[in-house]
Amino acid sequence: MTPQADSGEISRIWNWRITLSSALLLILVALAAVSFGPIHIQFIDIVKTLLGMKHSTSPENRTVILQLRLPRVILGALVGAALATSGAVYQTVFHNPLADPYLLGAASGAGLGATIALTSTHHNVTALLPLCAFLGGVLAVLTSFFISGKFFAEPNTLLLSGIAVGSFATAIQTYLQQRHSDALRPVYSWILGDLTSASWSVVAWSSIYIAIALITLFSIAKQLDGLMLSDEEAFSLGINPQRLRITAVCAATLATATAVSASGLIGFVGIVVPHLVRGVTRRVTNRSLLSIALIGAAFLVLADLGARTLLSPAELPIGVITAFVGAPFFLFVLRNRRKVNLS
Amino acid sequence: MFQALTPTTRFKAALGAIALVSAGLLAVQAVPAQAATPSRIISLSPSATEILFGIGAGKQVIAVDDNSDFPANAPHSKLSSFTPNVEAIAALHPDLVILQSTATKATAVEAGLKKLKIAVYVETTPNTIDQAYSEFTDLGALTGHVSRAKVQIAVMKSKISSILARAKKLTNASIYHELDNTLYSATSTTFIGSVYKNFGVTNIADAAATADSGGYPQLTSEYVVSANPTVIFLDDGAYGESAATVSARAGWAGLNAVVQKRIVVLPLDIADRWGPRLVDLYAFIANALANNPTK
Repeated sequence: MTPQADSGEISRIWNWRITLSSALLLILVALAAVSFGPIHIQFIDIVKTLLGMKHSTSPENRTVILQLRLPRVILGALVGAALATSGAVYQTVFHNPLADPYLLGAASGAGLGATIALTSTHHNVTALLPLCAFLGGVLAVLTSFFISGKFFAEPNTLLLSGIAVGSFATAIQTYLQQRHSDALRPVYSWILGDLTSASWSVVAWSSIYIAIALITLFSIAKQLDGLMLSDEEAFSLGINPQRLRITAVCAATLATATAVSASGLIGFVGIVVPHLVRGVTRRVTNRSLLSIALIGAAFLVLADLGARTLLSPAELPIGVITAFVGAPFFLFVLRNRRKVNLS
Repeated sequence: MFQALTPTTRFKAALGAIALVSAGLLAVQAVPAQAATPSRIISLSPSATEILFGIGAGKQVIAVDDNSDFPANAPHSKLSSFTPNVEAIAALHPDLVILQSTATKATAVEAGLKKLKIAVYVETTPNTIDQAYSEFTDLGALTGHVSRAKVQIAVMKSKISSILARAKKLTNASIYHELDNTLYSATSTTFIGSVYKNFGVTNIADAAATADSGGYPQLTSEYVVSANPTVIFLDDGAYGESAATVSARAGWAGLNAVVQKRIVVLPLDIADRWGPRLVDLYAFIANALANNPTK
């Protein structure tokens, strides 16, 4: 398996077209998401409010648009971009099309952290749920790293130790959950993931970490293609595969852990979106990483729109939508691909 | 391989970075609330709905959640009590919302409503009858029905104490309260458990509870058989459990409660709420415990 050769100028223009259309799609989806909700607000008023015009609508509507809907849409976009990009990077690093952002124990670790916070009898600890989830996710990934140790040159060893660490964390998490049946429902709803707790403060801190992670990943995107060769070949291209893998995995983990601590475990985005974009563009290279991030963002914003409108006036866990829509769509794309690229 | 050292140093650096990053995540917020006498109340709790109507605040209630089915004249709506949606609530322009602390993302929903300048009363699930009464007092104060709330509490207290006075002292009776067919039960430290405790019966879940199970331990079949309860209360009748299904469980045929046919399905809803109908729950349990075994 070798990366598709870059066919020069034409391919580059085509790539930019895809990126631009992805960006346009994200803007349209975001606008639609801000426009729909149980409270009916004129579209023109929404546009005016978003453009910063004062007295465009009633103060209540302004609060709904600027304090309830907008932070949620932005957080959805951030989380979607983080999960989709991390997924794509993990798939490249591990040469595994099934790799997703939760692979190295990030999900189970974060789940354990969140469960500890939710079952804690100290109210202050419960309030620190995002921090606990973040630390749990990161610690699980670090543990996987340390266990695989010097064998890191062998990605499969890391993969296996990630699976083992994940199972171990899940075991403790399930035990805690069984011991505290009163916390069962909050734990369960956290595991299904949702963007209900979106507010500007959540958007603020998560955007910083996700931005750092994504910029790092975009800047090494070209080199990541080298990981699809053997390590010897990569060295000959001037790439240090081991260092590159560590940087990539660290950045992807930072993005994933932040996304998880802000919104719980939203599944399937990290697998569906990269394959979808690569399937459409028929491109295995990580040149499409920016498009993957944009489509991931659009996908999650759209899924969240469904989550808060489909069962209105109740809310639906967003994870249900991403899997319900994502899985069949993914199968459709898979079926229509000429060949399956392991990237 | 010399390079194997590189990752370790990088991890140390990463650990430092994570510590820094984590510090930024320490953001906690708390907002106080206050309100004049509200005239557009939304209740997202079946118990609160019953309490509001019990203390004479029913006319101020404009909508109740999808699980509030009592009283019949309550303004029923599709609003969800488990997964509340801030905007759907706000669309009805309430001036007070009763929110269960156990609702999904209750803190976020509360914060969202407060941004829209809507007062919120967060209802916590009581563990004792007195905590239930304090919700009556709280809601009375919030809705301008302080004296009606006091009267309601006094009436309930006197009815309950007369039920308890009439009940036979059953010190050698033991009960098993079943939450679901995986044998989750409730100890005396829970609200429902405190009701049984008032009757002086032994709760078999108490001995099985550990300090950290939150009052709802999961029992094993073997434990229930060895504890051999004299009366079984089923709180999972709505999920298809009945005297017949319980009697048919492997190894349960010899239980006292099974042999003496003292398996009682608790009336739906009353056993899980702490409104004025609490009196009915006491009456029901008194009746179930007093019943002489048939045959």
